[in-house]
Amino acid sequence: MKKKFILTFSVLTLILALPSCKKYLDINTNPNAAVTVDPKLLFSYAVTSYVDLRASGDLWIPTSLAGQAVMDGFSNPTGWSGGGLDEGEYKIDPLIYGNPWRAYYTSIGNNLKQAIKIAESATPKNNNAAAQCKVILALVYYELTTLYGDVPYTEAFNSDIAYPHFDPQQKVLLGVVATLDEALAQFDPASTVKISDYDLFYKGDIAKWKRLATSLKLRTLMTMVDKDPTQAAKIGAMINAGGLVASAADNFQVPFQDIQNKKNPKYFISEQFNGKQNFFFASKWVTNYLDPVNDPRLPKLFDLPAGQTHYIGIEQGADGDDAINPRVSTSLQTATEPETIFDYQDELFYEAEIYARGIGVAVDIVKANLLYKQAVLESCKFYGVATATATAFSASLPTYIATDLIYNIQYQHWVDLTDRGIDAFTQWRRSGPEGSEIPALTIPIGAPANGLFRRYEYPITNEINQNPNAPKAVVHYYEKQWFDL
Amino acid sequence: MKKLLLVSLCFLVLCVTQVFAQNRTVTGTVTAKDDGLPIPGVTVKIKGASVGVPTDVNGKFSISAPENATLVFSFISYVTQEVSVSGRSVINVTLAQDNKQLTEVVVTALGISRETKSLGYSVAVVKGSEITKSRETNVVQALAGKIAGVNITQSSGTLGGGSKIVIRGATSLSSDVQPIFVIDGLIIDNSAQQLATSNSAVPQGVASIDFGNRAGDINSDDVESISVLKGAAAAALYGTLAKNGAIIITTKRGKKNGPGTIEFNSTTRFDNVLLLPKFQNEYAQGNQGTYNIANTNGWGPKISEVQDKTFPNFLGQNVKLQAYPDNIKNFFKTGHTDINSVAFSGGGESGDYRFGYTNTIQTGIIEQEKLNKNAVSFNSGKTILPGFDVRTTVNYVRTVTDGLPTQSSNFPNVLSTAVYAIPRTVDIGLLKDNYVDATGQQNTLTPARNGNNPYWLLYNNKSGAVNNRIYGNAILSYKVAPWLTLSNNIGTDIYNEYRKAVTRPGTIGALTGNFFTANIYERIINDDFLATFNHKITSDLDMKFIAGTSVYETYYQRDQEDAQTLTVDKLYNFANAAAVTTTNTSNKKRIQGVYGDLTLSYKDFLYLEATGRNDWSSTLPKSHNSYFYPSVSAGFVFTDVLPKSTWLNYGKLRASYADVGGDTNPYALDFVYTPASSVFAQYGAGSTFPFNGLLGFTGPSTIPGLDKLVSQNQNSTEFGVDLRFLNDRITLDADLYKNTTKNQILSLPLPQSTGYAAKVINAGSLTNKGLEVTLGFVPVKIPSFNWNIQFRYSGNINTVSLPAEIKQVTVQSGYSGLTVKAENGKSIGLYGVAWVRDGNGHIVIDPATGLRKTITDQRLGGISPDYTGGITNTFNYKGLTLAFTVDIRKGGVLFSNTVSTLRTNGLSEETALNRGKIFVDPGVVASGTTFIPNTVPVQSMQDYWGQYSAGNTEANTFDASYVKLREAALSYTFPSSIYKRYANFIKGLSIGVEGRNLWLIHSNVPYIDPEVNFFGSGSAGSGVEFNSMPSTRSIGFNVRLTL
Repeated sequence: MKKKFILTFSVLTLILALPSCKKYLDINTNPNAAVTVDPKLLFSYAVTSYVDLRASGDLWIPTSLAGQAVMDGFSNPTGWSGGGLDEGEYKIDPLIYGNPWRAYYTSIGNNLKQAIKIAESATPKNNNAAAQCKVILALVYYELTTLYGDVPYTEAFNSDIAYPHFDPQQKVLLGVVATLDEALAQFDPASTVKISDYDLFYKGDIAKWKRLATSLKLRTLMTMVDKDPTQAAKIGAMINAGGLVASAADNFQVPFQDIQNKKNPKYFISEQFNGKQNFFFASKWVTNYLDPVNDPRLPKLFDLPAGQTHYIGIEQGADGDDAINPRVSTSLQTATEPETIFDYQDELFYEAEIYARGIGVAVDIVKANLLYKQAVLESCKFYGVATATATAFSASLPTYIATDLIYNIQYQHWVDLTDRGIDAFTQWRRSGPEGSEIPALTIPIGAPANGLFRRYEYPITNEINQNPNAPKAVVHYYEKQWFDL
Repeated sequence: MKKLLLVSLCFLVLCVTQVFAQNRTVTGTVTAKDDGLPIPGVTVKIKGASVGVPTDVNGKFSISAPENATLVFSFISYVTQEVSVSGRSVINVTLAQDNKQLTEVVVTALGISRETKSLGYSVAVVKGSEITKSRETNVVQALAGKIAGVNITQSSGTLGGGSKIVIRGATSLSSDVQPIFVIDGLIIDNSAQQLATSNSAVPQGVASIDFGNRAGDINSDDVESISVLKGAAAAALYGTLAKNGAIIITTKRGKKNGPGTIEFNSTTRFDNVLLLPKFQNEYAQGNQGTYNIANTNGWGPKISEVQDKTFPNFLGQNVKLQAYPDNIKNFFKTGHTDINSVAFSGGGESGDYRFGYTNTIQTGIIEQEKLNKNAVSFNSGKTILPGFDVRTTVNYVRTVTDGLPTQSSNFPNVLSTAVYAIPRTVDIGLLKDNYVDATGQQNTLTPARNGNNPYWLLYNNKSGAVNNRIYGNAILSYKVAPWLTLSNNIGTDIYNEYRKAVTRPGTIGALTGNFFTANIYERIINDDFLATFNHKITSDLDMKFIAGTSVYETYYQRDQEDAQTLTVDKLYNFANAAAVTTTNTSNKKRIQGVYGDLTLSYKDFLYLEATGRNDWSSTLPKSHNSYFYPSVSAGFVFTDVLPKSTWLNYGKLRASYADVGGDTNPYALDFVYTPASSVFAQYGAGSTFPFNGLLGFTGPSTIPGLDKLVSQNQNSTEFGVDLRFLNDRITLDADLYKNTTKNQILSLPLPQSTGYAAKVINAGSLTNKGLEVTLGFVPVKIPSFNWNIQFRYSGNINTVSLPAEIKQVTVQSGYSGLTVKAENGKSIGLYGVAWVRDGNGHIVIDPATGLRKTITDQRLGGISPDYTGGITNTFNYKGLTLAFTVDIRKGGVLFSNTVSTLRTNGLSEETALNRGKIFVDPGVVASGTTFIPNTVPVQSMQDYWGQYSAGNTEANTFDASYVKLREAALSYTFPSSIYKRYANFIKGLSIGVEGRNLWLIHSNVPYIDPEVNFFGSGSAGSGVEFNSMPSTRSIGFNVRLTL
């Protein structure tokens, strides 16, 4: 008995105590992740992050409120403020400054960088996928710099550089142009190797991608040209060369779905926090411009309170009165509202401005007026105005001479962007030197007297505190960026 | 362990029984003072005689003695007692344990019992009886204030919440700072699993709810003793896992040949809030002096100035404003805990058994908060064949929690902001009675987007968990020869935890409702095989050698489901949700080890121990996954070689050096792409995949270590003395240590502009140098009265060393510009936004606003204390014991978001000052190149206190020093004469009153207990409080009965 016991004990112990060393330890492969993936899977993650960010409480709400495209309704309990100071009065939580930075650099930017790397090292080389990713990457750089000013660019996205230096905005914007040029050179319309089913924008239509990239390049140069007039020649050349976004079919947008957790974040917050009532009030800067001419976009943009005949927007920080002041339309900000990044009327407004101002081309008021009216027509159609009504309205617009024309192009361009916070914010800042921007915004009621909102402050937790090469002095929200005259 | 020793010695003594012919037979029972149980094997002899008689298994003795004789009762590790017979024929004696007994045996690494005297390193021992007195439900928390060099902080006042234990300072710049827990040789899991309960990518710190750390499952009633192995030398045999020290727990056993006993222990405890903020009671809610129902703050009109008007309340009624000074106080209730345990134990010739059951029922200081724990334990040993012993332990613990509060921020169910921000004019009773309207829908506190009624949250949106855990082991040992013993200890620890958090439709922030579930499965398997050789080299020199192998595996798996938009109200079924997002993850890690331990002892006063261990870890690159580390220690009882001294009765020196290797987490090497379930968008609006029918994958946020990673290394040296003066009236135990963790495996946080959040590298070192002193006095010692004072001091200096290319390491990121960071040459500190100061330290004011200027990324102080200390006074008078402990912490800083919330919302007392008056902040303004006193007033006090928002770290950072009455206990052990008539039935009875966390005597942090730590127990970060539930004061009553 004793021997049996001891023998069994010894054998069992040896089995337990001395398993085959090599194989036993060879378990360090993550069973829940893949070592290689198709670049389209990273592209779709980056794009979904990107459109969610643009429509979110980290980007759309703060840029729209601080940029006065929509109003918080201050003491109205179901307005965004709910009685307290918020983004409209420039009270912005540091997390909100930090989240877009994180999204642009990590979840969007770095996944695009990885996708480019995989696409370019694939056999056959997936040039189109790499170029598609580069276009989005250029948008990332463009939005990063127009939001934060000087940002890491040349040393960013490099796993060997722990502390990237910040590059001047001009360099970053030139980098945006260079990235788009690189993409344009890399697109290979003849090739079927591309992101197609996973392309939520164009389903792999490379011709559309090329027109978009060209237009985005033009937009970038237009953002730079007032500070750096040497870009005018390039603008002129591009206008003459063409190949720009040419119709509403080229609109660069991603739809949301009417399924829980796939809804547009603008709608989601009203659904989850406000009983589906829209939080935001019409901006007087929009209604004061549109209401006198009875613009057909008004009922598309805002819900008019019962019994009211005029759209009376409010000032930022003023109390929104639901009996008088319209809110942003719940038929505009629906669950499925697509996030638009660039559209045809955007392109037309830029072209109108180029001819009206003679940027790299000779001033052509007639052409500019035509483009202007066409842009307004496209804008009306975009917001759901019936084609006939839109056509009649745009035809009814006055034909302007030089100064008024530029003013109205800029104003209409800003109004058209009213639902695209960050784009409206950048358009406003480039619309004129300080004090002459269009519209002539005023400091919100209740906001500090330091000045108008002109940038996101740097994220402290995730960048400034982590990066010894980052600027340590606070760059305040009211300080101008390089492109902002 | 001591009792085991006692039992074995009993046999020896039995063999030498002799009978003396005397003229009177004296009989009686010898019992132990601590548990009232009879002690077998006590030597009873007549003073002056050379031999005596032993007590039997029931502690009974019978001896013939002269009527005027003095009987001497002696037993190992008990204080010898002399009793004069004085003509009596029955003498019952109670022996007290001698805590300073030189032959005290402690359990060290791998369950090896060693005489304290022989150790070359310090081991602190806490007896089970000490931790069951005050009955903290978490064993870790029960150790607070008991051991020098051991620092314990609580994550929150949540029932079953986490407690973090750090021994001799944090040794890691990453998350790995906790010691291992070993129960009867089995390494158990002590993780604090944090999961995001909302669709958000930013769970920084404790994600929403404090579910505690799993060491909290250990049932303190089953604990015989806890050895705390503080230094690397002590824990060297555990290898990699014990680089932060080890908590070695030995559970209770039955006594071999002991009587069958039944022990009852019953505690009723009451908890209430230790500290509530001081509120202002003058101002209503609103903005800049104007009433607004939508504001949850105190910036409205002065209540006394608007008595001629009425305003709408949360029910829409127009009422006159009135302050409710106790509204927050009345929100909290008295928590109640009942702990009842019963244990059966005993043993026969060849074996022993103990079966224990403990039930804990707890309710919290907020309504609906509950914890229910049932613990069953079984521990039995059996000699199967001569020399062949088997011991089995099985423990089953089921813990159920419900109604746990949600903490931190940015989530609709966060309770403490919802409570502390209630305006002064809100009647909490009215709020409670009317949390729903006639249709059952929420009556919100305000109509705004942050206005949830806290009672709606309490009654509807409950979070809880069910944890089922089994752990146990089987130890087989076989004494092959007198000089060789083989043993094998195999054990496993398995638990499954199901978490569920529901949010009812109608909750602002989640109006369509949602719920979240998670299943966590964790398993540890551990096997140690040991061969122990004993050899007497010469008559003075003993040798012991242990050779062993170890296999350790840990497996973790988690499945998580997030259901959104519920159709039928209050039905938390996945099929009732419009969308369900599921995620799953798992990981596995293995370590194999081979080790040896050589002990030499010379004449029982000089001891030398050397160990070596080699580990192979699955987590390191195959090319360098093997690492060896040695330790050596020595103990020298110098009083044994010196001439006997009247003032120094014992003196020992000890010294040790150890080197411990360390590995990393599983899967930290490969660059992989993970399928994503969702993307992030603020306010929980992120889209889930498939999005528009498409999947999404994402690269890692951390750059993996690839094949470059090597093991990290910690070496430590320790010198100690153990001195006892004047026959133990004064005792001094002191240690000086230095430990350095080099080549740390770090997840080095990177600025996000790199595209990553972190990078796994080997870099940096962290040194902890410190001094621990425990000083004991016995100022009064007379037969029936005893006064003991114990002072504890532990000072630790923590220094970071980083290579030039790494400027800093973020240990933990907080919210709003706050980070816990390490910089070269400094201690780990708190960094964040600070006030700008001139050369003389005056705060610089912006003349445009009258408000203070700020600057980012400034060091605000170290997070660790410079020193901690404590004083325990114990008074014994007959069966009565009174003890109290005062704890002191000096140094370190604490950031409090609760303070920020109270101030920015104009609710705390100080915010009522100067309102409506001209207030000039006494700072300076720049005037050319110099600074002149500020004369610019602030625009309003609301603006002034607005500067104390969470984004201004310095504004809410305080010196974390405190003095606290940690514990006070009064207990009484009834003399056996009281229940003499039932002596066959009752063997012991004691009662007690105990209080914990009783009084914050001194603190520099307003409104909160400074002893909190928002970051979970698994993090190296501390020094931050973020809307935690307030901690509690508890008072308990205890009855212990032994049958």
